[in-house]
Amino acid sequence: MTPPVIAQALLAAAAPAGDYDSVAGDLHEEYLHRVPIQGVGAANRWYWAQALASIPPLLSYSRTQRSIWNGLAVGAMVVVSPVVLLLATEAINDTIRVTCGGGHCAAWTYFSADWTDAAVFGALLAFCIRAGGVRLVLVSAVLLVTAIVIPTLLGFSSRLPLTEWLLLFGAVPAMCAGASTYQIIHRRSEN
Amino acid sequence: MAKGEYLGEFEHLVLLAVLRIGDGAYGAVIRQEIEAATGRSPAIGAVHATLERLERKGFVSSWIGEPTAERGGKAKRHFKVLAAGVAALKEARKTLERLHAGLSLRNATA
Repeated sequence: MTPPVIAQALLAAAAPAGDYDSVAGDLHEEYLHRVPIQGVGAANRWYWAQALASIPPLLSYSRTQRSIWNGLAVGAMVVVSPVVLLLATEAINDTIRVTCGGGHCAAWTYFSADWTDAAVFGALLAFCIRAGGVRLVLVSAVLLVTAIVIPTLLGFSSRLPLTEWLLLFGAVPAMCAGASTYQIIHRRSEN
Repeated sequence: MAKGEYLGEFEHLVLLAVLRIGDGAYGAVIRQEIEAATGRSPAIGAVHATLERLERKGFVSSWIGEPTAERGGKAKRHFKVLAAGVAALKEARKTLERLHAGLSLRNATA
C-alpha cells in the first residue's frame, strides 16, 4: 500500500534535504497502521491533511547555518532573479518571433519558454527558502511585489486573454516541478 | 534565563513527550503521544520543526537509525532529551507553579 504520490511529492519539495526520510518515513509508518483500521480512503485523507499542514513548518527551518551575509545574499537573489528571468524570457520570446519571420508562431513555443522560466524560478525559490528561511523570502517577495510587480500590473488592462491564463496556470506546476527537482538534486548531493 | 532558553507551548509538549517515551523516541511516536495527551493532532512537519529548534537550543540530541520496510525504506531520526532540556522543563514547571501559587480558578471569569 502506497500513500498518495502527489502528497509525497509536496512533502519532498518542502522538507529539508536531511530530514525528508525521517518525516516521510514517520508518515508512511502511521499511514500503514491506519489503512487496515480506517480504510484506504480515510488513510489517504489523513495523509493529505498531514502533508499539507506540514508544508509551512517544514519550509520554515533548515539544518544549515545562516548568517547576515547569507540573508542579504538570499534577499537580493529573491528580488533580482525574477527580474532577470523576466528579461531573459522576453529576449527568448523576441528571438522566437524573429525566427518565425515576424509571423504567428505556434503557441506552445511561447508556453515552453515561459514554463521553463517558471521551473527555473521554482528551483531558485526552493533554494532561497532552504538557504535563507521562509520569512526572509516572504519579506523579499513582498518588497518585490510592492516595488516592481504592482506598478507593472497597473499599466496593463484588467482582462487577461485566454493565452495569458494558460501561461499562468502552466507556470504553477512548472514552478513546483523546478522546486522538486532542486530538492531531489540537493538531497542526492548530501547523501 | 536567556530568551532563547525559554520553552514555547508546543516545544514544552514535544520535550515532555520525548521524555515520557524515553529510548526509541522518534517523530511518529512523539506525534501520537502528543495526540493522546492533548486530543490535538499535530502535523508531523510541526513536530520535526520543533525538534530541530530544540536541538539547536541544546535541549535534545538526535541520530539517524536504519531504514525499515514498514517505513517505505526510510530511516528514523531518534531523539533523546539532554540535561539542558531537563533543566528547561524544571524551570518551566517552577515558573508555572509560582504563577499558580495562591490563585483560585474556581470563581475566576473571563
